[in-house]
Amino acid sequence: MSKNYVRLVTIIGVVFFLLWLGGLGWAVGNYYAGKPESPPQTSPQDKAVDNKKGLTITAIGDSLTRGTGDETGKGYVGVLVDELKEKTKQTVQLTNLGINGQTSDQLRQQVQQSEVGRQIQKADIVLVTIGGNDLFRGGQGLMDFDSDNITAIEKKYLDNLNFILQQIRKNNQEATVFFVGLYNPFIEMDQGKEMSKIVRHWNYDSAEVSAGFPKVVFVPTFDLFELNVNDYLYTDKFHPNTKGYRLIAERVASLVTW
Amino acid sequence: MNKLIQNEMMKLIAKKRLVVIALIIGVLVVLFTYAQYKEVQREREKLGTNDWRTILQQQIVDTTNRLSSNRLSDEWRQQLQISLQQKQYYLDHDINPAEPGAPTFMRIFLENSIDLFIPLMVMVIASDLVSSEHSMGTVKLLLTRPVKRWKVLMSKYITLCLAISLIVAIAGILSFLISGVVFGYKGWEAPILTGFNVTDTGLNTTDVKLLSLWKFLLMDFGLVWFVALVVGTLSFMLSVLINSTAAGMGVMLAALISGAILSNMVSSWESAKYFFMVNLRLTDYMQGSPPPIEGMTLSFSLLVLFIWWAAAMAVSFIVFTKKDVY
Repeated sequence: MSKNYVRLVTIIGVVFFLLWLGGLGWAVGNYYAGKPESPPQTSPQDKAVDNKKGLTITAIGDSLTRGTGDETGKGYVGVLVDELKEKTKQTVQLTNLGINGQTSDQLRQQVQQSEVGRQIQKADIVLVTIGGNDLFRGGQGLMDFDSDNITAIEKKYLDNLNFILQQIRKNNQEATVFFVGLYNPFIEMDQGKEMSKIVRHWNYDSAEVSAGFPKVVFVPTFDLFELNVNDYLYTDKFHPNTKGYRLIAERVASLVTW
Repeated sequence: MNKLIQNEMMKLIAKKRLVVIALIIGVLVVLFTYAQYKEVQREREKLGTNDWRTILQQQIVDTTNRLSSNRLSDEWRQQLQISLQQKQYYLDHDINPAEPGAPTFMRIFLENSIDLFIPLMVMVIASDLVSSEHSMGTVKLLLTRPVKRWKVLMSKYITLCLAISLIVAIAGILSFLISGVVFGYKGWEAPILTGFNVTDTGLNTTDVKLLSLWKFLLMDFGLVWFVALVVGTLSFMLSVLINSTAAGMGVMLAALISGAILSNMVSSWESAKYFFMVNLRLTDYMQGSPPPIEGMTLSFSLLVLFIWWAAAMAVSFIVFTKKDVY
């Protein structure tokens, strides 16, 4: 083995030794003494929508959008996308922004985020489910539904809904918006009848708000779950199961045109 | 002294250890590159797009949904929350946290190999540096020369430091060259954020700094190198203390692996933070992930590692100069 080779390796070793030592010093220095420098704010037009092909769907809302309770994990959105893929023979791109337990207040916040706005902007179809958590509050709504309380909740909800739909329209004038209404999961319980009345009223007002916007379609689901509700509910007796989601998906699918 | 180091370097090269290490790293990088490539493909297929903003937004929503489950442990919840806030911060400032390219792959590779893989490679060299002289019987030849014992050991240690520097360099160069074939060689200037502060209430973003990826990488390399040096020194000490190479390696291996396991479960055992092995993930501080035990900071970890390093140095030199060799 030549002496020069050994010397070369040694020198390379020394060079890297010094380089890494410098890196270490820099890391510590930067970590503790580096000046904070906030990243530049970008203007919205920087994020122009890329030219896309096929059908783009953006879904926003609560656990129904998420598909909670569906063993296959698809939810009505997933089933709908599968059906559309078959029917249209196009590529379908889905962005599912549904968040479990989301109320209309939270969705109001979410649609104001710039990236969520961009997702809505590039969509051909926007799917919305909201309100279930406002009204039922995870089953608590079953206990106290004295009418004053409900009226206050509904008023707030309708205001939020109006804002959300406005925001969607602001971002995207072209897309068809499908707003999926509420069903009554408690219909077979003791106070099911009274609850149904409230849900019907709630749905009616929601449909009225939707009608105030162009190309916003209110999709009723109340009737789907009216008979044999327990066949279509998940074990939590609140969210739909796979069959229940299929019902909703089929109803929306029959309304979609492209 | 110079001659001694040259001599040690020659032994190191003759043993071809560095070549073996380069081969191991090369094979692993190929595997990781393929895995990463598959991951990107799968993501693209699932979402039908390669627009990173859409993917990031979807990840944010997915994480939010995981947070809504009430069966999460507190630490896991906090970790998810912090990663959520970080992602949202990246998205709000329109910065891609994982700009595709070889430099990003290098960063991810380094961050994941800092606590186990790189130390293991270092051990391959460090753990028999002294003990092999015993097992081969050459130690007597070495010590009968008219050179002070500490000088002999020092030359071995300096060789180890150079070898560690070379190993870190090999890891960097190979991961860049190999992953670049798939991901492309660009992206050095991509912006990356550092300086997130993890506090009790969540993520503090007031001190956030914007860096070019190449600067960030150089810092990461420095930290990886420091960790490798400390682990190398510890196995060097064991190599002095224990004449059997295999036993020394076993002890070190056990320590490293226990560190990986401990970091996942020691959050309630606070004094565990003085172990060197839970302090190895220095790059996490740069990135802003929560530390395994509350109260750990970059300077704390550096100090702990430094103390272990100094102790190992002292023990090695004292024992080696006093030891009876027969």
